[in-house]
Amino acid sequence: MQITLIQGLLIALVVFICAMDKHMETFMWFRPLVVAFFTGIILGDVKLGLEAGAVAELSYLGLLTVGGTVPPDPLFAGLMTTVLAHTTGCDVATALGLAVPFALIGQWIGTATNTFYAGFLPAVDKAAAAGDEKKIARIMYYAWFLYSGLFALAAFLSVYAFQGGIRMFVESFPEWLVHGFEVAGGLMPAVGLALLLVVMLKKENAAYLLAGFAIMIICNCANILPVAIIAGCIAFVGFNRDVEMNKQTGTSTEKEEGDYEDGI
Amino acid sequence: MASNKITKKDLNEMAVRSMAEQCCFSFERMQAIGFCYGMTKCFRKIHGNDNKEMAEAMENNLDFINTEPHMAAILQGLIVSMEEAHQDRALIHSLKTGLFGPLAGLGDAMWWYTAMPIIASICCSLASQGSALGPIFYIVFWAVTAILSRIWFVHLGYNAGVSSIKFIGDNAAALTKAAGILGVMVVGGLIPSYVSFAFPESLVIASVSVQGIFDSILPSILPLGIVFLLYWLFKKKNVNTIKLILLVIACSIVFSFFGIL
Repeated sequence: MQITLIQGLLIALVVFICAMDKHMETFMWFRPLVVAFFTGIILGDVKLGLEAGAVAELSYLGLLTVGGTVPPDPLFAGLMTTVLAHTTGCDVATALGLAVPFALIGQWIGTATNTFYAGFLPAVDKAAAAGDEKKIARIMYYAWFLYSGLFALAAFLSVYAFQGGIRMFVESFPEWLVHGFEVAGGLMPAVGLALLLVVMLKKENAAYLLAGFAIMIICNCANILPVAIIAGCIAFVGFNRDVEMNKQTGTSTEKEEGDYEDGI
Repeated sequence: MASNKITKKDLNEMAVRSMAEQCCFSFERMQAIGFCYGMTKCFRKIHGNDNKEMAEAMENNLDFINTEPHMAAILQGLIVSMEEAHQDRALIHSLKTGLFGPLAGLGDAMWWYTAMPIIASICCSLASQGSALGPIFYIVFWAVTAILSRIWFVHLGYNAGVSSIKFIGDNAAALTKAAGILGVMVVGGLIPSYVSFAFPESLVIASVSVQGIFDSILPSILPLGIVFLLYWLFKKKNVNTIKLILLVIACSIVFSFFGIL
């Protein structure tokens, strides 16, 4: 279906607001579930927005900003999964796969600004040396609006200006190619989860991964809460034991090096 | 000079400003600008019109920092309390530099690896059933935690003082380990429910469905295997995220072309 100019502008506005939140990572409005919900409302197809948001949210769960790296962009993933499913009429899983190039556009904007904003630092240092806190705030707001503005512009171009070209391109796909993207969409969560594990998985907690996996197969529950509760219990017991052990070793070293305590 | 005292209202306002902690993020000094911005109002109150002190206080907090946005509020509270007590700036600086790393590890494990997957999986299961409550609950949950946690953390950092913050520092390893267990177990649970991968029913070897063979060994064994394969590529082969995503898409399309998937 066609996207009208008004819808395109409204989407750009929503993306602007969500990108402001993305710069802060505070209210999670940049997450696909929320972006797709808003996009669905604008396109007049809330059900599609919910469906696309749920699929994209879980796929981009593990693709988080870890240690200053910029992952493929969840905001664009949520937006374009909804928009592509709406305009080309394809399945949301297929749209999720097709949305990947757009998520990379978002990632490039993030990397570009993160690099570019280092150029603001001399001005900030000068303001700090002059004791001018208002100027620091002003520079910060410029950076914030510029980032969100770039996102809104990129969203408007992808959603409205180039929609005809994108639709023609997708419609020329043979069936096996569309199905390939659908399979890829279903596998996207695996990429996110694997990336999470790269940061989290350690020898000491690897066994719990399999335990969580097995519990989920047995209970076959609609959400992850039962696993989380069991995991919370285990973590709590382990934490108490570790703190107890810390105290015991802590008191013994304190006796030996009590004089140095102030030095730390 | 009694009016220079930081009040509860000042702290609450700092909690709100702390939300912008990540603004103007740059690769050179990461969150320096946003982090400093959060505290400038309190610094101004402490130092009044003394621009020299003000400048020194700000410069002391404008170098490299990269922590978890929620946890930054604890540090900001702590720094303001030390600044108010006119403690040595070198001490403030070394505490900040020593604490932001452990706090980041703890915060990432708590908020991003644990709270996020749990809330996302609950809200997504609501949304995929066609209920608008999914995203609405998601928005409400994060809005409430974003505000309340920062107010709590700012007060915690301000009131706790150095000794109590040291408790967090000392037990950061234990806390991170506990959060790691929680997070990894949740990820384990997410694999069978959210990674969808199955051979088509039509794919048959010696009149037995291929997918049926895998299912009779262990349900969801293929998603588990794929996650481990990708993990191995990330960890041991240092393949980056974009390449891996493109590889997944390319493989899916090739297998789809030959009718295997």
